[in-house]
Amino acid sequence: MSAERVDVREKVLSASDQLAAEIRARLEANGVFAVNLISSPGSGKTTLLERTVDLMKESLRLGVVAGDVQTRNDADRLLRHEIPVEAIETGGGCHLDARQVSKSLEGLDLSKTDLLFIENVGNLVCPSSFDLGESMKVVLMSVTEGEDKPLKYPAAFKRARVLVLTKTDLVPHLQFSPDHAIENARAVNPDLTVFSTSSYTGEGLAEWTGWLAGQVAVLKRNKGSGESAGP
Amino acid sequence: MHEMSLALEIKAICERELAKLPESRLTALGVEVGAFSGVEVETLQFCLEVVMSEGFDGFRCEVVRQPGTAACLSCGLEFQVTQAPFECPRCGALARGVSGGDSLHVSYIEVECE
Ligand SMILES: Nc1nc2c(ncn2[C@@H]2O[C@H](COP(=O)(O)OP(=O)(O)O)[C@@H](O)[C@H]2O)c(=O)[nH]1
Ligand SMILES: [Mg+2]
Ligand SMILES: [Zn+2]
Repeated sequence: MSAERVDVREKVLSASDQLAAEIRARLEANGVFAVNLISSPGSGKTTLLERTVDLMKESLRLGVVAGDVQTRNDADRLLRHEIPVEAIETGGGCHLDARQVSKSLEGLDLSKTDLLFIENVGNLVCPSSFDLGESMKVVLMSVTEGEDKPLKYPAAFKRARVLVLTKTDLVPHLQFSPDHAIENARAVNPDLTVFSTSSYTGEGLAEWTGWLAGQVAVLKRNKGSGESAGP
Repeated sequence: MHEMSLALEIKAICERELAKLPESRLTALGVEVGAFSGVEVETLQFCLEVVMSEGFDGFRCEVVRQPGTAACLSCGLEFQVTQAPFECPRCGALARGVSGGDSLHVSYIEVECE
């Protein structure tokens, strides 16, 4: 009888990461900019998306993948805004995974999509571990959640490119310092681009949608130059 | 949370590795979990016990937490961190940002050949 040690060094999520890489290639081939929205339940993801698509759908071709543990309520809310929406019901799953997203993309015409929003399941922990092939993660935090959330749930803030602070209309009613909350988020990730928004009053939405449109434009320009430089 | 599905993935990796080594029995499993991976070490350990109890027994399970690295803005010291905020152990100033600590790996297995 002999004992042996085997160095495995395998990522636990290697199969999932590989599928995410395939999704990313598919999106890039079609020139789609994809945003994965992550937050606690009730932070205002769906409401922000409703306002965002209204502001952007005239100028860009949009699509949404809306994840929920149960029901297709969010997808139905977004469908009323007359854009293509695919619903994913995770049936108890605490996050979206690449397999679900890959399947739901079959229902969208990616060749006719400029900007894709993926509303993840409401959960500030689990979704941050799973790559969905998105161009970037955006983390939302509402002003009612307390300033210390970035310190308590650093993974989501560390991996995000953008922080959207939501429900700023409520600040006058709360003992909440937006500056302090943003400072905590930047302590974890100093590179975060931050937008302070209210989907009720519209504060900050022009900045947020303008920034998104800029990202789409950069992607299109890079893709265009890449193609013309080709053989 | 999702630690149960991670435990199942880890079990699948063990099974794949053991399939390459016929006539052998798993005696140890090493997993590395980043402090900023969004995964709870204790929960994962518990889920691994549950999941692995079917098919494997009598092995040692070592789940280690991999820290991240922060750099002090004031004195430049680089130090290891496992939770935010990142206070410099030398001068007490706060560091902004952390690198690493994202790992989620099966690092090794040990087997006994019969
Ligand atoms: N006061 C205020 N409430 C908001 C705002 N955005 C969303 N809400 C409310 O917050 C609740 C949860 O919003 P929802 O968009 O469903 O959150 P989700 O679970 O993250 O998708 C709803 O009652 C919304 O009306 C906002 O900007 N201000
Ligand atoms: Mg929602
Ligand atoms: Zn220092």
